Amino acid sequence: MERQIRPIYEALDTGSNKSAIVACNKLLKKHPKNELIKTLKALALVRSQKVEESLVLCDEVLAAKPTNDAVLTAMMHVLRGLGRHNDMVTMFEEAYKQQPTNEDLAAQTFFANVRVLNWKAAQQIATRMHKQFQEDRYIYWSVISAILQANDSMTAPNMRSLLYQLAHRLVTSSPTPSYVNADRFHLHLSILRELKLFDEARTLLESDIGKSICSASLACNELRRDIWRLQGLLEDEGTKAELRITEQNDRNWLEFLSVLDATFSSITSAQDPDQSMKSEASLRLAKTEELFTKLAAEDGRKDRSALLALLELEKRARLHGISNDPNRMVDLMKQYFEEIGDKACCFEDLKPYLALEATDSEKWMSFLQSLTPSFTNTNDLQRLINCHKLLRQNLSLDDLTMSAESSRATLYTQQYLEGLKLGASLPMTELQPADDLAILAGNVFVNLWKISSDEKYLYNAVALLEFALTKSKQSFQTRLMLIRIYRLLGAPSMALEHYRIMQIKQVQHDTLSHFILSRSSTFSLAASGDLTFSTECLEASQIYVSNTQDTGDYIVRAFTGEKYSKIPEFIIFEDRLDNSLQRDIIKIEHLRMRLTHEAISSDIIDMELIELKFIFDRLHHDNRDFEIIADYQPRNSQKFSDQTQLFGKSEGSGWLCTFLKVYIRAFQQGSDLDDTVEEKLLIGDRPKQTSPQNKLILKDRLRERKDEELAELTPDELAFANYANSLADWLEPYHDHARPPPGVVLAEAAKLAELKTGHPLKGVEIPPKNPNGNTNGSTKKDEEPPAVTEAPATVVRYFDEMKIRFEEVKSASSPSLALHVATLMQEAFLLFVVETLRFKMPSVVKVNKLGTLVQQFKPIRANAVAVLREVSSSLIKRSEQDATADQRKHFVDGCSPITALNIDHDFVLGVAKKLTDSRKKVTEGVGKGLARVCTSYN
Amino acid sequence: MSVLRPFKASDMFKFNNINLDVWTETYGLSFYLNYLANWPDLCYVQAAPSGRLMGYILGNAEGSNNDWHGHVTALTVAPEYRRLALARKMTNLLEFMSDEIYRAFFVDLFVRCTNHVAIEMYEGMGYSVWRRIREYYGSLGVGHRGRDEEDAFDMRKPLSRDPGRRSVRANGRDMIVDQNNV
Repeated sequence: MERQIRPIYEALDTGSNKSAIVACNKLLKKHPKNELIKTLKALALVRSQKVEESLVLCDEVLAAKPTNDAVLTAMMHVLRGLGRHNDMVTMFEEAYKQQPTNEDLAAQTFFANVRVLNWKAAQQIATRMHKQFQEDRYIYWSVISAILQANDSMTAPNMRSLLYQLAHRLVTSSPTPSYVNADRFHLHLSILRELKLFDEARTLLESDIGKSICSASLACNELRRDIWRLQGLLEDEGTKAELRITEQNDRNWLEFLSVLDATFSSITSAQDPDQSMKSEASLRLAKTEELFTKLAAEDGRKDRSALLALLELEKRARLHGISNDPNRMVDLMKQYFEEIGDKACCFEDLKPYLALEATDSEKWMSFLQSLTPSFTNTNDLQRLINCHKLLRQNLSLDDLTMSAESSRATLYTQQYLEGLKLGASLPMTELQPADDLAILAGNVFVNLWKISSDEKYLYNAVALLEFALTKSKQSFQTRLMLIRIYRLLGAPSMALEHYRIMQIKQVQHDTLSHFILSRSSTFSLAASGDLTFSTECLEASQIYVSNTQDTGDYIVRAFTGEKYSKIPEFIIFEDRLDNSLQRDIIKIEHLRMRLTHEAISSDIIDMELIELKFIFDRLHHDNRDFEIIADYQPRNSQKFSDQTQLFGKSEGSGWLCTFLKVYIRAFQQGSDLDDTVEEKLLIGDRPKQTSPQNKLILKDRLRERKDEELAELTPDELAFANYANSLADWLEPYHDHARPPPGVVLAEAAKLAELKTGHPLKGVEIPPKNPNGNTNGSTKKDEEPPAVTEAPATVVRYFDEMKIRFEEVKSASSPSLALHVATLMQEAFLLFVVETLRFKMPSVVKVNKLGTLVQQFKPIRANAVAVLREVSSSLIKRSEQDATADQRKHFVDGCSPITALNIDHDFVLGVAKKLTDSRKKVTEGVGKGLARVCTSYN
Repeated sequence: MSVLRPFKASDMFKFNNINLDVWTETYGLSFYLNYLANWPDLCYVQAAPSGRLMGYILGNAEGSNNDWHGHVTALTVAPEYRRLALARKMTNLLEFMSDEIYRAFFVDLFVRCTNHVAIEMYEGMGYSVWRRIREYYGSLGVGHRGRDEEDAFDMRKPLSRDPGRRSVRANGRDMIVDQNNV
């Protein structure tokens, strides 16, 4: 038998699912009851997307309650592929019940529960395992399961402390002490911290072994520090930290922070510190100052910790009113600049101290202004760059006039070109030391555009940054800025080109894809058959699949390797990716593109509906990285990242929620799947609801409109949402009336499933046919249809109003806004198609007596098509003018500020050509796509 | 002036300023999770007081018998935080842990033969070339600097369990091995 089965495994391993199925079928003829062959066939079927057929086999094997190791392992893969983790728990529990002495089965049962985050069951299994197999680590499995149950957001607060007490009892019941390894010790300490059993914690921590663990383990030491702080032992901790700094030469900033905290502990611990407390703090202040000053002198430029600690010390002294030298802050800042000014981090380091009072600020600014720029070496250049960044940070709004900013742009660009000479011999893989000057100039040009709304400043930014990239190919900062600006300028293919060069991959898809995919349906050419952005959405979403597939394995690994400190961390990580806001923003963008490209059918509606409903129940985490983009705008003005947000709005959970509601409502109306049907037809597990249990039922939640959510929409998106709402409100009663009853829908689904797999659908009872033998949904209704009301004005007027809006924006130099309006109009039309699909069938209309309703669709649809056709031809006409010599000349002329500084005219012309070509491509593509949509649904 | 702390899984959401660098590869989730799940005490980050990540090190312990050693798999510092001795501090801790906790004989790391700056830095930290691995960095292809571009030096530093300094040899640069034998 084994000899016969081996080829099946080989086929599965090499991805030849088809031949695996063939081999299984052959063997099943001889051994029709063999569980392993059935399981392997189920696996091959799942992997070839034949879910229904696989389900049948899967259920058969589960019903037989397998205990065979090979069957269980293969089933694990099948069930994972089907998303049926709960069945996996049952399967292992059944097997373990039959073989209670099988340690491996016990562990698998434990892990199956871990995978579905069922901590209560996991804890009980681990306890049982410890009794049965007498291994210490099972106690710790039980301990951490109790803690994780306590930490679960669904656990009630009083339960939480009970569970921690249970964990504490379990830890102390272990025959070996927790300090045999650092991770058990860490777990033990975390329980003591939660239960505030500080004396016990101190006994452990002050033992020799406790000290030795903390001296090596950063994680345990972190916890120890925390426990000391919670106990208010700031001074003690300060003394310890001082010893580490002076005797072991530790320069971890956390140690310096402990010394700082200890210095002010007499003031911070009291509610209302009296004079004696203040004078005690002053004494300590002097001592700490002496310590840091001495260290700073010793370390020199080798380590900047002590110098920075002096700054922090003075900042806190001022905060507590015990600083005794009004000049000290600025003096220290000057000293810092003089010592560290030639390192790139100087600006970041000083940033928290730049909010100075007027006289200090003046002194500081005049110090910086008095420095003479030098280009003799890269250190001097770095110093100059830091000086500019620091100066710019403290500019007031009055300093930001057009003329002042223009001269800054000129100065930075000039100095950039001068600074390039220092890096002339560097290989192409290196960054240019002068890069930041170009980036500074880019910041200024964007600011000039913000002040004046004159797009030529964006042209200058683009041309200069493109030039900087020819000198420094690896500068991702320059690319990120260009991506943002190209999108503002309506040149999405240029943005995408830069994005792709950065080779964003893996988890970066989650944190960085917003740069290119945010509101990307605006630029999508999917309607005219170009799936570039749609594909980009799918590729970016792969990371969520690998999170689901892989992260759980490492949680299990952390259990087997007893790395308890990592387990909660991995669980949080998995959750943050699984419920990522960006994930579902991408999903919505992809859906918006999909509807323009694929024929809208009940299949698409049903599938999307189920997925969107799942998403709607998630509590989202925002993992998007906005900090990555360099920001050198003054402290009091808008950040660069906000300035360059497309349409000036960043979409967040409110935006997502609004679009989810729009589409869920429309799909619910268009679909025959009500909740009972969905329940029966759903294959995998329902995702765990992460959103706190909402008291409202789904139907009411979908109708909720919250101002803070709507505030994240652009005005045009808001108009779209209003239209969608009115449309749904209007048509809801007719859909509810015309939707076939659940029994009929299920019977239809069962019939299809049986045709496909040869087996009846499990758990679905087909109702007896009604007298006319008709089950296709057009059963005669006894009840009267709801009275037909007139189409709401919001719906009727939407397209005409948006046409006016389009006329207003269509001639703007950047096509972005025109595309935004046009694609939203297209989306509104497609939503209308979704909402009226049901009534396309004359029989449905007739049976439900909705003829007068359908009469009203015709003029709305005809008007929409007419308007969209106009918009389409207007975009196509525009595209013909987008890439002309005139346009390029306009761009090059606008770039006179930088061409005057000797940035090559032909180079700028090249940039102009690429930009205008990109614009032409997108306006033409969207225009043609609109025409295609009109033809498809007219 | 930076916080030295364990590398946490959620640091993957924040390491873009380090990983967008051309020499730093971004691997799949499994790569990081594997290191964190097995050797959490050999994986650290350096962070600025603002919380911004500056650099990180990922290491493991491997080998059998006399070959039992700590290994630096990834060591990287964001461009704006270079020249601050961050790499040295993270390596020091990894060496300390390899010595005290793992009782390893030596720590080793691989470096591109053309990366003179790094080689010099590691030599300053007590590492020396043990052997040369042919075509270790196959991905870039033979660049204009020939095979040096693709070959790696395996550099080692003895720990206290190797008082005879058996993991140091003078002619390491001439000991060439195929990458399949590593």
